[in-house]
Amino acid sequence: MKTKLIGLATFVIGLLYAAPALAAAAAPATSAGGGTDWGPIGAGVGMAIASGLCGLGQGRAAAGACEGVARNPGARPGIFLFLILGLVFIESLALYTFLIIFLKIK
Amino acid sequence: MEHELWFTALLNRLFAHGVTALLVMISSLPGLAFVRPADPIHPIPNYFAGEVLVFLVIVIGAIILRARLSVENPGKLQMAVETFLQFNHNLVDEVIGHDGRPYVALIGTLGLFILLCNLEGLIPTLMTPTSVVYVPLGCATVVFLHCNYHGFRVKGFFGYLRHLSGPMVWIAPLFFFIEVFSDFLRMLSLTARLWANMLAGVTLPDVFGSLVPIGVPSVFMLLHLVESFLQAYVFMILPALYVSLATSEEH
Repeated sequence: MKTKLIGLATFVIGLLYAAPALAAAAAPATSAGGGTDWGPIGAGVGMAIASGLCGLGQGRAAAGACEGVARNPGARPGIFLFLILGLVFIESLALYTFLIIFLKIK
Repeated sequence: MEHELWFTALLNRLFAHGVTALLVMISSLPGLAFVRPADPIHPIPNYFAGEVLVFLVIVIGAIILRARLSVENPGKLQMAVETFLQFNHNLVDEVIGHDGRPYVALIGTLGLFILLCNLEGLIPTLMTPTSVVYVPLGCATVVFLHCNYHGFRVKGFFGYLRHLSGPMVWIAPLFFFIEVFSDFLRMLSLTARLWANMLAGVTLPDVFGSLVPIGVPSVFMLLHLVESFLQAYVFMILPALYVSLATSEEH
């Protein structure tokens, strides 16, 4: 009974989700000079490259960690710590791209 | 002006007068004119109200827990907090070593504060304070000051400067510059990591909610939940690592 109630509550919350992104009106994509504003396109391409390469790097790290744990399950805690640290440092490179995009694109 | 949440409205109703007066007084100092609030009736922003809420939850929770501490039959809250403390001790032992126990105070507080701030956005009618850049920046500034203070305290003034200058004399000027620069860069990367992850966490449900408003956003809320714990954990490991780098002995 309790599980059903929780499920129902989750469903209702899912139904009631408001979409504030719909409220934002789309601005015309023109720069001050009248030409096309290439900024958002550059941001998209740059972020795509950054996250793609970051994904490759994190994939290698995760693969290495999985292999290490499979070979030596006893080393799990140490490997976990270094895996998280490595993932965090790899991820921060993609986040720098995000930061620059956030600073440059208003 | 952004939408004012109910807790912010409550705080503004209670404290707007004093806060505005204080901010106006500070903004009259040279170079600090930017702190003058734009709206004198609503000087407290949403993220600050969120931080105050988390602060109150932690302090009141600690007071209640303190009154009920018991060795014979510990309550559920006491068990949970003891588990958290044990987790902190393990983390500090693993990252800093056997003399790392004094640093648990800051690291555990940061972890708890950031975790609750991250999770706050999942409660309807509240927002995630860490998705506004000032909150992670404040935490990162505390970590920066803390690490350098303990570096100076453990190694002494000249000892810490020598530690920053690296092992070789002839390369020391370059090394010193790079070390100090990377110290500031750590503050930037701590800020950017927490802020960008949390911003993405609160924006993703909005974006997908505008595509499919039923069901799909809750999947991304689950992602935000997982990410909240992970980022709080990361914000505990990294300060511990930085403290251990600042205070470690030369080999």
